[in-house]
Amino acid sequence: MPDNWGFVAAAYGLAAVVFGAYWRRLARREREIAAVRTDREAVRNDRASRSQQPSKAGHPRPEPASRPPLQP
Amino acid sequence: MTTLLGWLAGLGLVAGLVMGFGVAPREVTQGNVQRIMYLHVPAVWVAYLAFTVGSAASIAYLAGRRAGADRLAHAACEVGTVFLGVNIATGAIWGKPTWGTWWTWDARLTSVAVVFVMFLAYLLLRGAIEDRERGARYGAVLSIVAALNIPLVHFSVYWWRTLHQPPSLLKPGSSTMPRVILTALLVNFAAQALLGAYFVARRARLLAAEEEALA
Amino acid sequence: MTYARRALAVAWKDLVVERRSKETLNALLFFSLALLFVFQFALGPDRERLAAVLPGLLWLAFILSGVLGLGRAFLVERENDCWEALLLTPGDKSAIYLGKLAGSLVLMAVVETLVLALFVLFFNVDLGPALPGLALVIGLGTVGIAAVGTLFAAMTAQVRARELLFPVLLLPVLVPVLLGTVKATEALLLREPLAAVAHWLKLLVAADVIYLAIGLLTFDFILEG
Repeated sequence: MPDNWGFVAAAYGLAAVVFGAYWRRLARREREIAAVRTDREAVRNDRASRSQQPSKAGHPRPEPASRPPLQP
Repeated sequence: MTTLLGWLAGLGLVAGLVMGFGVAPREVTQGNVQRIMYLHVPAVWVAYLAFTVGSAASIAYLAGRRAGADRLAHAACEVGTVFLGVNIATGAIWGKPTWGTWWTWDARLTSVAVVFVMFLAYLLLRGAIEDRERGARYGAVLSIVAALNIPLVHFSVYWWRTLHQPPSLLKPGSSTMPRVILTALLVNFAAQALLGAYFVARRARLLAAEEEALA
Repeated sequence: MTYARRALAVAWKDLVVERRSKETLNALLFFSLALLFVFQFALGPDRERLAAVLPGLLWLAFILSGVLGLGRAFLVERENDCWEALLLTPGDKSAIYLGKLAGSLVLMAVVETLVLALFVLFFNVDLGPALPGLALVIGLGTVGIAAVGTLFAAMTAQVRARELLFPVLLLPVLVPVLLGTVKATEALLLREPLAAVAHWLKLLVAADVIYLAIGLLTFDFILEG
């Protein structure tokens, strides 16, 4: 029987592509989540610094320290 | 830990390739196309191992409601499906030159295809439910149904093909396997199992991160 | 209320609702009739070819009707805002599962009897002595279809794209039941004795037991929310 190395290459190549694609998908998703987390951190820090200004509308604002922390 | 698994998997895959192409001999009847088996056969073993882990984790989740058990279940079923897909595809690539056809409804191919579709449906269900807790419960029940259905599928398909019908002439690999081929298969199985474990660990870690970030 | 009373109450409610509206029953019967025509036109007038695939066609009709009918198993509760009432039911919720299952079985039995009659008429099938064995096979198969179907119907009731997801979940799982029933029906229609299909009957019984057990044990988890 002929050796059909082309098919062998195709099989191993396909497996490499599938596993590689799955690996890249995991990596990409991890990066996205990390980006979301740093964005959240930035927003939280931003809000914390802005809350030092006095309220103009007259509604009593609780002190920043007494506010419950945002859940990530 | 996950990174270590990854490196071990990488080493294992290299060892597997060495065994499959360097050490294992050219097969007598099929020729070198038989080397696809070192990729194709361990993949289904890893897949079924993953499904077993996944359904066991599902039972554990229903019993103890620990989110870690659900993440393991989800990750294991997903990785198992990937490996099973690789198994089916490489089997088709092997089948074309040896059997002359990409696909045939023989017992093994058919039952593996049914199991593949069952766990694809699991992934679809998990994707369709936004609420993590409900998805965990429903997914657990479905993976238990799917896992317990596997033997039923195998028996029914096997009887469907073999009773009142002559068995297929060409079988992948003979019943008494030369030792070096068995060793090559086992090395590749260990390598793919490490790869599977690495993927499961990484996927579960990603699930935890997603839950935390998007809560 | 005892467990059995609760199960019967659910079944009775479903059957009374169905008897009054006949919504599902009529739809399924017309669907089966339409299927018959589709089969005839898809396969052409060749009598032999039809006779050869008849068992498969019969079970296609049963399973497709089952998918349609079972997919609606919890529609009544969903549409009338009674889903929460199900969740709040005291005691073992598997009684609801049994009640729903019983109701579905009655509905499917009616549809299947009529479909079988239509097949006998339109495709000139001679059931004869095969009928008792056939009834057994149809019974075993239907229990399997309904057992998984009721569980999956509850699962997909609150999920978006439920009409698509339900058949996708159900059909692969039902492959063993489909294979067993079709092969057994084929043999019985060829006048083989029941003993010749004993292994298929055992498979169907095993499947039914497994599916019922899973349904009874896990239904509580589905109806948590």
